[in-house]
Amino acid sequence: MPPDSELERLYDQHATALFAFLLNFTRDEEDSREVLQEVFVRIARQPELIRTTRDERSFLIRLAHNAAVDLMRRRGTRQQHHEQFGREELSIFAAAADPDEAAFRAALSTALGELPPDQRTVVHLKLWEGLTFVEIAGILNLPPNTAASRYRYGLDKLRDLLRPFYEEIK
Amino acid sequence: MNGEDQFEKRLQGLPPRPVPTSWREGILRSARAEAVAAPGSTDRGQSPSRILAARLSGILWPHPRAWAGLAALWLVVLALNLAAHDPAGAAQEMADRPVRQSPEMRELLKQQEQLLAELVGPLGAREAKHPDSAPHQPRSQIYLESLNT
Repeated sequence: MPPDSELERLYDQHATALFAFLLNFTRDEEDSREVLQEVFVRIARQPELIRTTRDERSFLIRLAHNAAVDLMRRRGTRQQHHEQFGREELSIFAAAADPDEAAFRAALSTALGELPPDQRTVVHLKLWEGLTFVEIAGILNLPPNTAASRYRYGLDKLRDLLRPFYEEIK
Repeated sequence: MNGEDQFEKRLQGLPPRPVPTSWREGILRSARAEAVAAPGSTDRGQSPSRILAARLSGILWPHPRAWAGLAALWLVVLALNLAAHDPAGAAQEMADRPVRQSPEMRELLKQQEQLLAELVGPLGAREAKHPDSAPHQPRSQIYLESLNT
């Protein structure tokens, strides 16, 4: 087990990013908590996993992604049902005081829920983690070209869905 | 293209929703507790083979050399046991196997027998010359008889 301070440091540095990623991927707050806890339990059990890695954040996201995929598989059809009816209410961004901004963030959260999980994952890692396609490909275990094409498709779909807001931005 | 960049930048600038602060202690406490309780508490949701492997590892790990030595000794005993029993078994198997001679082999043996008979004479004649049934005499008596003849 790593020292408590080390575990706390990892949590303080990466939990917000992992939570945002998991919330966007699972579309469920409780599932995100479950996976987040699973990630830190795993690190506590096998601290050598994180010690030997070069990029902590990418490694933790990969762990979180794999754990979330496992969870989704376990949930099966129940999760699909939950996705259909629960995606409108979920907010994956911080609350905004400005009503227009709040509306935009809510619309974006909903639009992200419309994307297939594969595209949503790549869009999240590119936009909010700032990773390159090569890095994303390494985390998700897919070719960089596939990551790039998923990003393009996802972004185009988001642009279509958010066109009313996008016109205002322009 | 410029609009696309603007759209991406607009999205990138959005702050993520923070993790509920109440989660921190709970998650870290669970992580520590699970790590301390491992491997016994990690049995949930694992396959029986992994549980068995983890428990065996827990038993064997404290004295790996002792267990390895014991395993090696056991293998040596097993090998010696097999080596001691197998040849006897094989010999017995060969003895039990019926002998099948080919006609060529039989002919060869017959020729060798004839050759031997020509060289040393008939076995019956030799036996007649030195009958085992002859009365035993002292060696000195035999010597004197041979001088007289």
